[in-house]
Amino acid sequence: MVLTAIDKVGTAVLKATDTFGDFTVLAGRTFTAIFKRPFDGKNLLNQLQSVGVNSIPVVVLTSLAVSMVFAVQLAFGFKQFQAEGLASQVEGLAIMRELAPVITGLMLSGRIGSAMAAELGTMQVTEQIDALECLATDPIHYLFVPRLLASMLVVPMLTVVSVYVGFWGGYLILVGVEGQSAYVYGNEFYKLLAFRDLRIALIKALVFGVIIALVGCWKGYRTQGGAEGVGNAPTSSVVTSSLWILIADFFLTKLLLV
Amino acid sequence: MAVIDVVNLSKAFGPKVVLSNVNLQVQEGESLVVLGGSGTGKTVLLRNIMGLLTPDSGHVAVEGKIIAQLPREELFQVRQSIGMCFQMAALFDSMTVFENVAFGLRRHRKMREDEIRARVEECLSMVGMKGTDQLKPAELSGGMKRRVGFARAIALKPKILLFDEPTTGLDPVMTDVIGRIILDLKHELGVTSITITHDLKSAFEIADRIALIFRGECIACEKPADFKVNPHPVIQQFLRGDADGPFLQDPPPPKRSRQEAHS
Repeated sequence: MVLTAIDKVGTAVLKATDTFGDFTVLAGRTFTAIFKRPFDGKNLLNQLQSVGVNSIPVVVLTSLAVSMVFAVQLAFGFKQFQAEGLASQVEGLAIMRELAPVITGLMLSGRIGSAMAAELGTMQVTEQIDALECLATDPIHYLFVPRLLASMLVVPMLTVVSVYVGFWGGYLILVGVEGQSAYVYGNEFYKLLAFRDLRIALIKALVFGVIIALVGCWKGYRTQGGAEGVGNAPTSSVVTSSLWILIADFFLTKLLLV
Repeated sequence: MAVIDVVNLSKAFGPKVVLSNVNLQVQEGESLVVLGGSGTGKTVLLRNIMGLLTPDSGHVAVEGKIIAQLPREELFQVRQSIGMCFQMAALFDSMTVFENVAFGLRRHRKMREDEIRARVEECLSMVGMKGTDQLKPAELSGGMKRRVGFARAIALKPKILLFDEPTTGLDPVMTDVIGRIILDLKHELGVTSITITHDLKSAFEIADRIALIFRGECIACEKPADFKVNPHPVIQQFLRGDADGPFLQDPPPPKRSRQEAHS
């Protein structure tokens, strides 16, 4: 019984090490392939379109919803201490440092990470990735690199959009509903913020972009087992990248706030 | 020196041995047809030649270069001289027929757009697919997809062509069309080729030599005329297309008589 348990733990550790090693090797190959030629600008533009432009509505809507809910909570909480003025300051701080990058990261892991996993997974099971290999084209260079670059560019840009939308979400509640002065809200929102906070948000977004693209492509590339495998790849990609986004968020916050 | 040299090639997936000590040599300009039942490792053989799989033991050498030992960049150089036609065509479904055929040219040849267009049209007309360049793979039938796959494979003017079951799942007429195209490509391009097929009619038309893989081993590799009269019971059973014999490990129950079947 004890030996069986040790055997199971050993098998699980070996499997986890194997999976982590595989991901690390593919990630390393992707970063190396960024500098290889030929540079496929058209492919990158296509990815910027699908990863970036098409994701704007979902980021705008979720950022608006979350910032409005957060403003309602802050207004209610600070009203208990007659400190309603602080609500806009905390709203600004929370949106910039946490809500904008994390909400953008999580939404994009659901939207683009899953799409990458499904697309590459389908290509894998229909031998299109083998066809790339046979046409003397490195799938890592052709498929992973444009998606990684697009994601690294787009997630920080959409985080800025999220901050901007978050400002107006808070405005709608704190000025429109709670009756604060629009002038005061405009000033207070940025009062606790420094350039460092924007830098933190952008670094987080950049890391989240890397996680989303690499996990999405990796899960797709390693798809096995036909339709069932293609069905599992996006789910697995979203779960894994969301988890890593939250873990990375914790460590980045600890690291960058020092 | 053989263009393709398969030496003692063995490959297993877990406990299942797919190829066991397979030896094959294909000379320049020769057309080898590989026959064998489903799941006997024919596709695995092609994937080893392309370097998509690594042998457990033995090796595959293409023009003297051992595929499994090549660094990736060098492997890609070798692959530019091999055209692979997949069983289900494996066309890039997000691209048009034109973009599929032009893919290799755009990535590996410094050609102007008008030169690429001319070469794509030439390749498409060689496989009887002229005028389909703006269609997407989803708009093509199975036979059309295979032919576009052929056009894509020959676009880079390879010295070697590998066909993985090019006629499987096609009607007899389309099977004949594909067989004729392979024959035309062989005569027009003079390439060295390996064709995996179950279609005996086109196999005997295409082949300079025929090999039969049985339970992971190559049990014959000879000229079509010799192959036809080879007394090996497995070869004779395969040629007859009969269920009774040593070919199947788990043979079906004996055939009922016609009268019994109708009663």
